[in-house]
Amino acid sequence: MGSTLLIAWREYKQYVFSRGFLLFLIMTPVLFLGAVLIMSVVDKARPQRTFVIVDQTGGYTELIDAGLEKQHLRETLQSWSAYLNVAVDPDKSAVEDLPEPFGAEPITNERLEAVASGGGVAAAAAAVAPYLKDDVAPFQAPRPRFRRLEAPQAALAAEDAEGAAAALEPYLLGERALPGAEGELFAAVIIPSGFGDDANTEDDAPPQAAFWSKNVTDPTLQIAVSRALRSALRRQAAANLGLAGADLNRLADIEAPITAFTPGEANVEAAEIDDADRLEKIILPGVMTYVLLVVVFAVGNPLLTNTIEERSNKIVEVLLSSVTADQLMSGKLIGIAAVGLTMPTIFLVGGFLASAFGATEADALRETMAALIRSNLLFVYFFYFLAAYVIFAMIFLAIGALSNSLQDAQTFMGPLMMVVFAPMPFAVMVFQNPNGLAASILTWIPIYTPYAVMLRIASDPPMWEILGATALMLVFAGLVSRVMGRVFRNNILNNAPPKVTEIWRLTKREA
Amino acid sequence: MAPYDGSVMDAALELTEVVKEFGGFRAVNGLSFSVRKGEIFGFLGPNGAGKTTTLRMILDIIAPTSGAISVLGAPSSRPQRARIGYLPEERGLYRKMRAAESIAYFARLRGAPAADAKRRAYELLDQFGLGEFARSRNEALSKGMAQKVQLLATIAHDPELLILDEPFSGLDPINQGALEDLIRSLKASGKTIIFSTHVMEHAERLCDRFMIIAKGEKRFEGTLEEARADQPQRITLRTPAAAADLAGIDAVAQVAPLGDPAEGAAMNGHAAMDYQIDLKDGADPDAFLAACVAAGVAVRRFDASSASLHDIFVSLAGEEGQ
Repeated sequence: MGSTLLIAWREYKQYVFSRGFLLFLIMTPVLFLGAVLIMSVVDKARPQRTFVIVDQTGGYTELIDAGLEKQHLRETLQSWSAYLNVAVDPDKSAVEDLPEPFGAEPITNERLEAVASGGGVAAAAAAVAPYLKDDVAPFQAPRPRFRRLEAPQAALAAEDAEGAAAALEPYLLGERALPGAEGELFAAVIIPSGFGDDANTEDDAPPQAAFWSKNVTDPTLQIAVSRALRSALRRQAAANLGLAGADLNRLADIEAPITAFTPGEANVEAAEIDDADRLEKIILPGVMTYVLLVVVFAVGNPLLTNTIEERSNKIVEVLLSSVTADQLMSGKLIGIAAVGLTMPTIFLVGGFLASAFGATEADALRETMAALIRSNLLFVYFFYFLAAYVIFAMIFLAIGALSNSLQDAQTFMGPLMMVVFAPMPFAVMVFQNPNGLAASILTWIPIYTPYAVMLRIASDPPMWEILGATALMLVFAGLVSRVMGRVFRNNILNNAPPKVTEIWRLTKREA
Repeated sequence: MAPYDGSVMDAALELTEVVKEFGGFRAVNGLSFSVRKGEIFGFLGPNGAGKTTTLRMILDIIAPTSGAISVLGAPSSRPQRARIGYLPEERGLYRKMRAAESIAYFARLRGAPAADAKRRAYELLDQFGLGEFARSRNEALSKGMAQKVQLLATIAHDPELLILDEPFSGLDPINQGALEDLIRSLKASGKTIIFSTHVMEHAERLCDRFMIIAKGEKRFEGTLEEARADQPQRITLRTPAAAADLAGIDAVAQVAPLGDPAEGAAMNGHAAMDYQIDLKDGADPDAFLAACVAAGVAVRRFDASSASLHDIFVSLAGEEGQ
């Protein structure tokens, strides 16, 4: 093994076989799975909100109940569609071919009514049972998020809304409990007499429904009640206009038929934008740009600390009596670059294995892996990783050669980090408009080129711009390597860190 | 060993008119010397004399501004690195590396095959009483043990030429003795050793030849006997006589009182004091003593022993060596 590779191997081994790196490898998927698990647990553990309705008109309670029930059925059908994607045996039937309305069709008002009138979840489970995998667990409908309790007699007997509110206050504050309530009453809806009357609509202040709750952070019930009341008022207005309820459902289900397209290049057909496109063109470039930024600086840091260790522990002179400064530099660059390539490679290989042999739950992962293979994103990532790495690694090496301690290094790292993260506010602009002015400007600034191109590449930026900016970046990388290499060679053996004014001298060939 | 005759036919190292400038500062000024194969060569000089700069040029860590350096017959040490071992003055180890791993790593950097480097690392650690620490991390070793590991890393690839910059610094007297023994045994096995030191006793005991450098220039190169021969015969004399009486004696070149006369009187209890007297070239100390007696100079103490390397160093290195 040549000296350069020997140094590279030592650098690589020191970090890849360290406890920190192994911990990173283990922690990343654990944290990811943990986050998914926590979200799922939090979702399941969400408390069921109890509420009461004091309906002084006498006509809205059932409508609100029906509205909330419909909302619950909608949520149940969303879970049902996800369940079918996993549970249906493709050898027995495709999900799209399941008997209606119990398949995974779009959730419309018409379908909601069809499911409800067709027997609900129990009927759906029975209808698809022949098509499910043998060992699949039965479907579990999500628990209703809201439960209405009977309002206390004092509130129902109140003459006006204020009286009802006063009667409900002890329950809302938890001072009194309603029969059947698990905890304090979450909310109370008071619908005053005259609410929704046509006669009142022209008044300056028509009677308003009131939503009472101690909790001001969770608006879900308020939204659901508001939606149910709005729906009731619209139905009432539609009925006044002579429309039947079914007609109103059909009106509400009308969707404007619109499809998003992206224009093709010459000789390429225009393509419809689907979820896979969004994954490939928006989500993955965004995530990979973030990973690129994180990995370049994560692996650059060891170069800095290790060079400082070699200087402060006086190892460097022994090294330089055995190898040239260029060999030492190259060995470090290669070794740490390999660390930077190892991180995503392990996750990629893990991802491919999991998607190839994993459970059907890994569909999203499979789609991600397929998008990575289908697109040129991986190639772009690795190419621009190496480019960004060379630029920043050489700067880190030079800073290491100028510093005897991390404290010395901070003098240089502070301004560097400010420059690196300066365009962060513009990143959103590039993300939203990948071929706009901000995107172009960032692309042409060599230290930002890797990140800008990674973010833009799937949005078909002008090829001349990418090639030109990349060429400029490569020239810049060469220049940085040259100048920072001189700083490294000229100062690595000097005991004292140079004054800032002396650094210019170190960038010259013979310091 | 035969006295050095100036021939460089069997030189392990030869420098010819080497100059090194840093900006406007000339750190090494026209330095020429050679080291014969198989000898122990002392490279002596006060702080800032240019020793480390010269060693770095020999090792091709920095390039000379002008002049020529020949190492083991080659114009650069770079292609010879497998044949050279270097222990710098300021040395350290990777804290997280293990002792045997460190020795093997540096041996491999100097061209030793992986298996040989590893085997030799364990052998050397056993040989120097550190076998049980072979798998200890360097950060867990004492300073003395770490210095031994550094030294073993210097010799693990079995180099022909060893360059040791201040190898004794930081070692306790026992380990200094052990290092002296190691250097002798390396010489006995045919190695050439160059070492720099501030402790003249080590150089005096070990060196076949030495060189003294000061302000970047060579002040002396040769054996201790040759250095002594170059020095004027120096006598320490205790007498109540005045300096002027001593200066009047024919063989005397120079008289210098040693210390304050009042102090000297208080110290030795009578009105006598010590003088350092340099005799003229070729003057005989016995004849000088006889001349003193003949001139009526009362001699209380007479010391005509040879100059030590320390004296020679101080004399040749001038003020920088004080």
